[in-house]
Amino acid sequence: MRDLLRSPAGLVGTCLLLLVGAMMVLGPLLAPYDPQSFHPRARLQGPSLAHLLGTDQFGRDLLSRLLHGARNTVAFGLGATALGVIIGSIIGVTAGVIGGWIDSAIMRVLDGLLAVPDLLFTLLIVTMLGAGMGYAMLAVSVAFTPGMARIARSAVLSIRTREYVLAAIARGESWGWIIGREVLPNAIGPIVVEATIRVSFAMMIGATLGFLGLGAQPPSTEWGLMVAEARQFMFRSPWCVAVPGVAIALAALGFNLFGDALRDSFDPRRRLR
Amino acid sequence: MSADADTSALDVQGYSLRYRSADGQFDALKSIDLTVRRGRTLGLVGESGSGKTSLAWAIMRYLPANAQELSGTLLLAGEDLRTKTTRQILEIRGARVSMVFQDPSTSLNPIMRLGDQLAEVLIRHRGLSARAAFEEGTALLARTGIRSPAEMMRRYPHQASGGEKQRVVIATAIACNPDLIIFDEPTTALDIVTARQILDLFTTLREETGVAALYISHDLGLVSRIAHEVAVIHQGEIVEQGPCAEVFRAPRRAYTRALLAAVPDPAHRIGTPPPDPATPPLLTLANINVRYGELPWLLRLLRPGQAVVQGARNVSFDVRPGELVGVVGESGSGKSTIAKVLAGLQEFSGSVAFAGQRYQGRRAFDRAYRHAVQIVFQNPDASLNPRQTVATILSRPLKLYGTVPPLRIPARIAELLARVRLPAQFAARYPHQLSGGEKQRVAIARAFAAEPKLVICDEITSSLDVSVQASVAELLVELQRETGTACVFITHDLNLVRQLAHRIAVMQHGELVDLFDTADATLPDRAAYTRTLLDAVPTLARIENGVVP
Repeated sequence: MRDLLRSPAGLVGTCLLLLVGAMMVLGPLLAPYDPQSFHPRARLQGPSLAHLLGTDQFGRDLLSRLLHGARNTVAFGLGATALGVIIGSIIGVTAGVIGGWIDSAIMRVLDGLLAVPDLLFTLLIVTMLGAGMGYAMLAVSVAFTPGMARIARSAVLSIRTREYVLAAIARGESWGWIIGREVLPNAIGPIVVEATIRVSFAMMIGATLGFLGLGAQPPSTEWGLMVAEARQFMFRSPWCVAVPGVAIALAALGFNLFGDALRDSFDPRRRLR
Repeated sequence: MSADADTSALDVQGYSLRYRSADGQFDALKSIDLTVRRGRTLGLVGESGSGKTSLAWAIMRYLPANAQELSGTLLLAGEDLRTKTTRQILEIRGARVSMVFQDPSTSLNPIMRLGDQLAEVLIRHRGLSARAAFEEGTALLARTGIRSPAEMMRRYPHQASGGEKQRVVIATAIACNPDLIIFDEPTTALDIVTARQILDLFTTLREETGVAALYISHDLGLVSRIAHEVAVIHQGEIVEQGPCAEVFRAPRRAYTRALLAAVPDPAHRIGTPPPDPATPPLLTLANINVRYGELPWLLRLLRPGQAVVQGARNVSFDVRPGELVGVVGESGSGKSTIAKVLAGLQEFSGSVAFAGQRYQGRRAFDRAYRHAVQIVFQNPDASLNPRQTVATILSRPLKLYGTVPPLRIPARIAELLARVRLPAQFAARYPHQLSGGEKQRVAIARAFAAEPKLVICDEITSSLDVSVQASVAELLVELQRETGTACVFITHDLNLVRQLAHRIAVMQHGELVDLFDTADATLPDRAAYTRTLLDAVPTLARIENGVVP
């Protein structure tokens, strides 16, 4: 963990994630106003002492909404990605290790799914399952699965022919050991990095679904939904779009930088140099 | 030495080079003095990391950004290269100094025709027209002994063999009649017979053109055959320099003596005494066949005539308990295929009989077989999992086969490390914290941790330095003596295998062409191919007999 903080990227990433984490845990306690209460006389205002980050089209305090929304937004991104990564990795690693016609069959099916854009795929699933955060999350994770499987498989393929894996096969190790102890620790780097980048995508797709009325429903404080709702008033007061937008960007940046640093600290060759 | 600077092609005086990196400074070259006189060859000999390649890049003026030149001059025919501008250097590179790299398959551009790569130098530096350059290039190729040079000019690198590609690289290097050619281990990536031909070509061309050469190599035997002078470099310092015959016959410095002693000498046997020929064999291979690229039946229908490569063809031999059988051959001869078959990594047809059990096919190998037969791979960087500590690596066979009770495992790991002459605190280290030789010792310790009856060594010394090679080979023999383990030792180094093995199997194109007792290696009734291999190997012994170029 100390190595994570030694690189500038790791330090910044960790700080951003700590900030996001603090907002998730303490946000509702710190919020100065009720996120849903209207202040008709203070609509679409810029930052002031009363409203530190300004207000939206109904005069709701943006800071309070932001603090309340962190939980939904980030949890959605994390949950959808975690689910997608786990399912995708299991499929990809299995295909990569087993190889042969099973591998070909799995990968051709996934190639077909990959040809469908993430958002379209998600929309398709949500329309089948129904609207709401839970279904949207499931839909995003399913949409992520083929891409993650492909990355996991390619990481495994480059490891599978290494001599230490051959040595394990020659020793007569079980498949469980070979996958879990020889292949996965060496293949995890690209998977983790891809996963952290995808957390931000997941947050964005969640926001888009909210915008289309298929994900989070108003008056939810989900950040993407905040952007979507304020879109019409963007030119009258840029704050109502900028605040949640920047929040999403910073959270995404935090996940990215943290992922990079995490990959480096996974690698003992980099760690001790 | 510097007095005759006017007759020297290259004169390096007091040259020091330092690399800066994240964890401090590293002095790669310390006050180097060396001179290559016109028409002479200087052999620069050193182990990996000794700084020999750094010197080559310094002369080529192609140093990485973190290199810092501290002092000294690099005189090329009297002119200091360090004072040249970038533009002048571009004129000098390829025209007055050229370089021949280790691996011709990576030093040639795969998407350019060989002829274009050769003509490029002639057009750039000699100002020839494209047509004239092509003709000149063809003539150059003819001089390097390529049989149909005009046709070779039109080929791409993948359509030429390793030896042919290296000839093209050499032709490019001599194209502009340079003052100096730097050869950076030009034969290491080639197989023995081709390497021998390239060396012969080198000697012929040197006589024809009178070019000066700096020949960098780790192979003392090879340098002793081609160089006039030798400089021995160790940790960035020239420890000894002088005429070849003198240095090799009467080395003054302890390091040179140690280096010379490490060169495998077939006359000096270090192997264990041979096992009783009457003992029944431990391992018997009968008619082993391996086919690569065999398609499933459906694809075979779709693609008739797809070539199937025979990795091994009717290979049969046996290994007695405690015996060391050497398997030699060029790359692609099928020797590694046999290693994979024995380690259960390659499907095969035929039968393997081991300790009274018969196995037909890879899937037949049971736990008992995999326990009793262990493999050590060529490259210790790749064969040790970088995410596991040495202790984890060594504990695995102990746990898997239950050779010692769980509580005894740490003690056993310490024992194993001591056996391969590594300190006990190495248990906590990761592979990347060890040197190549140390890693290979860990790999050997892992194989012996299983208490096997047979160990397969697949080129275990070829990625190591000469001095480390010798100590790894000795270690293997010592372990064999202590444990009575039999060994299949696969290598391309005939000198080394003649020191170690009781019997030697020679393979060519997947077939076993010869099998003989090591003592009979030089008998006249050996197979023709065995004799070719034996003749191609440079040995130090030859210069001691007075055959100096």
